[in-house]
Amino acid sequence: MKTTFGALSLIFILGVLLVVANPNYGLKFGLGEGNWEEYRYTDQYYIEHGVEEVGGTNIVTDIVFDYRGYDTLGEATVLFTSIAGAVALLRKWRGEE
Amino acid sequence: MRPQNSDMGLIVKTMARATIPLIGIFGAYVIVHGHITPGGGFQGGATIAGAGVLFLVAFGLSEAKEKINKNFYSVLEGIGGLVFLTAGMLGLGVVFFYNVLWHKGPVFNGEAGTLLSAGYLPIMNLAVGLKVYTGLVSALFAIALFRRWKK
Repeated sequence: MKTTFGALSLIFILGVLLVVANPNYGLKFGLGEGNWEEYRYTDQYYIEHGVEEVGGTNIVTDIVFDYRGYDTLGEATVLFTSIAGAVALLRKWRGEE
Repeated sequence: MRPQNSDMGLIVKTMARATIPLIGIFGAYVIVHGHITPGGGFQGGATIAGAGVLFLVAFGLSEAKEKINKNFYSVLEGIGGLVFLTAGMLGLGVVFFYNVLWHKGPVFNGEAGTLLSAGYLPIMNLAVGLKVYTGLVSALFAIALFRRWKK
């Protein structure tokens, strides 16, 4: 009974979300309503110029390593820092042998 | 209490022996072809790290301690990060993260879509793959090695 009710409410919530997020008559996020391409021109720019400017045919790699290189650099730093912190916290400390 | 026996049984060990090279080859493929097919350094490095974790789980900590040198892995991780930074600085004459190898470099400037193309992208993919692989393996190794809970 409880499980059925839970599943039914999940389906109901999903349906409400589908109605709310529908671009035709639901909520509209951000500036672009009908002419969203005018405000999100970078998508089309990457698709059109990515191969010629960066060279990789995998556009995601082009964006990650070239257009958004600083982001990847920070991500690598975060990985390094987290592992250094994990090892520093988990290793044997001076008092406990 | 039974003696400390951290490795798995025969079936798991045999399966691990068979699948670890395949996982490694697939991860290396994902890294090397990162600039032409889906995937890249991070994904391929995580795949190879999965092989390392499988080794650690299947063969136990004592066997992994002989095969995996933790300090060597730490050094490799630092090298990966430095190579990534250096590849980003190659085109510093124009701007940071300028792909100078692709525009007028001596290597890696073949036709787009081939393996030796895309300027610094293959170098960065290799560096990030090495970094992610060694980093994840050493993190899991540290978690397995330094148990901080009481027996």
